Amino acid sequence: MLTRPAPPPAAATPGGTYPWPVPKMYPWLRTHPTVVDSALAVVLFLVSIPQWPGSPRVAVAGAAAVSAALAATVVPRRRYPEAAFAVAIALGALQVAFGVQPSNGVPPVRALEPSNTDLAIVVLLYTLAAYRPRRISLTGLAVALAGAALTIGRWAPAHGANSRAPLLGAAVALGGSALLAWVLGDHIAYRRAYFASLEDRAERAEAERDAQAQIAAAAERARELQERRARAVDEAAARLRRIERDLHDGAQVRLAALALALGEIKENLEAAAADDHGRMAMLVGAAHENAKETLAELRDLARGIHPPVLDRGLGAALSTLAEASATPVALSVSIAERPSPAIESIAYFCAAELLANVTKHSGASRATVTAGDQGGRLLMTVTDDGAGGASLAPGGGLAGLLERVQTVDGRLDIDSPPGGPTIITIELPSHA
Amino acid sequence: MTPSPLRIVIAEDAAIMRDGLTQTLTRRGHDVVAAVADAQALRDAVAAHLPDVAIIDVRMPPTHTDEGLRAALAIRRDHPQVGVLVFSQYIETSSAAELFAGSPAGVGYLLKDRVADVSDFLEAIGRVAHGGTVLDPEVVRHLLGASRRADSLAALTPREREVLSLMAQGRSNVAIAEALVISPGVVEKHVASIFAKLGLAPSDNDNRRVIAAVKYLES
Repeated sequence: MLTRPAPPPAAATPGGTYPWPVPKMYPWLRTHPTVVDSALAVVLFLVSIPQWPGSPRVAVAGAAAVSAALAATVVPRRRYPEAAFAVAIALGALQVAFGVQPSNGVPPVRALEPSNTDLAIVVLLYTLAAYRPRRISLTGLAVALAGAALTIGRWAPAHGANSRAPLLGAAVALGGSALLAWVLGDHIAYRRAYFASLEDRAERAEAERDAQAQIAAAAERARELQERRARAVDEAAARLRRIERDLHDGAQVRLAALALALGEIKENLEAAAADDHGRMAMLVGAAHENAKETLAELRDLARGIHPPVLDRGLGAALSTLAEASATPVALSVSIAERPSPAIESIAYFCAAELLANVTKHSGASRATVTAGDQGGRLLMTVTDDGAGGASLAPGGGLAGLLERVQTVDGRLDIDSPPGGPTIITIELPSHA
Repeated sequence: MTPSPLRIVIAEDAAIMRDGLTQTLTRRGHDVVAAVADAQALRDAVAAHLPDVAIIDVRMPPTHTDEGLRAALAIRRDHPQVGVLVFSQYIETSSAAELFAGSPAGVGYLLKDRVADVSDFLEAIGRVAHGGTVLDPEVVRHLLGASRRADSLAALTPREREVLSLMAQGRSNVAIAEALVISPGVVEKHVASIFAKLGLAPSDNDNRRVIAAVKYLES
């Protein structure tokens, strides 16, 4: 079934209560300055018409032409302010030279008499002040004021001081409004610079916000990766623990039961020691020995995978290590909150390796192990009074420890000057 | 030697081991009054039967960490007359220290592998049941190796060190004499010499002797 689509909703008229689209027109004018300036030129041209001479026709045409030329200078004022100003000043100079006062007995050229259109110079001076550096606009102001002074200077002696001819009005208007125009333009330039700096600051603030957002995103990503790695590390630790338990509950217990059975058979055979039993007793004895050795090997293997003593906490594990060490160890543990199993495991294996190093290489008579937590970090030190000189040799034991520690963003510091003492510090996150 | 029959409770979660132990002990004339698989059942069985000795695996359900050790400590507190022999897949000196804190009478701590040497194992059970002390040679070896008294231990002759080690395991003079194939009189002379060299007060009581030796090695 076909349905006619509903007519699109009427577009909201911007501008609210205005009968004409003012807010639309205004931006349009801003983006079309030449149109505005052309209209200004037309106005400047029109305001001089009442000042034109009534006759002869040549004079009227000349005045119109001069007015038109002067008015036209404002059209390109924004693109070429200096050139437009120069042309307008040149025309003004012609007016001062030939239109103000008889020179050498020749009467003034009527077409070149100053008119209202000279306001173009004021407009152009404003433009200079608004769009160009002060150095240029001040030059323009000086030229305009000089022109005004010259006009009055040439005009006054010929007409007498109390004459109220329009020429004087034009000259005074030119001088006064030149100053006003420059001040206005300069102020506009200042405001524009101020707004530009505001805009710049806003832009920079926005850029900074963007950068901060990026940093926050990167930090979030890093945290995510850390969490993922922590999970992987924990999973690996859990998997090793499971393997150890499987060995413990499976192979080890079976072997122990087998060794028990063999032991009993052996003892029974020995007790019955008849001659023909002798060889069998030997065979069973060998199997029995084998079972016992396999048990010991399996125990070491399982312990290497996951030291069961760690189930009772790092403190218990370290004390077992300390007691097993051939070098006497003073142990001090103060751990308020249990680290995660993976961290305990890393700390344990590091301590085991470091204590083995102390016994094997340092020649120390005693060692100290401390472990404690603060601020979410686990700090462990292994100190000995041996020969010192321990270093991170590639492929060496310490390098292996460093690798292990770095899997969770931990640190390993070695302080071992020749002659000792050696202090190894390991710092791990309590929960990686 | 035919030991007097003992009333025994076994706590071991692996069925194959539990059955093997039960059969072996029964064949040797002992009375296994209960064989259980977890710590709670163990405590119930001990309370019900008050056996001469409870043989306890350290790792049992649910967490498979140290339930057995906790249960053993509880039994020693609640029923001091019941001997406890804790056996473990691994030797942990910290567990041993906990177990032997206070009076070590009627306490044993052995590596599980020791069941393979059946007669020795049975002898250890008998000692614990009669209020003696059994410490695994492995623990003693750790203690001797790691003792801070290395200087005074160095003053002992190799033979004296052997005697000290067996003494720390809880062996009597007679047992030490048998193990080293020397006469009990010679053992007594060695023991006196060891106590003199280490500055310990002499004692005829085997348990007190073990405590003295272990405390000395631990300190």
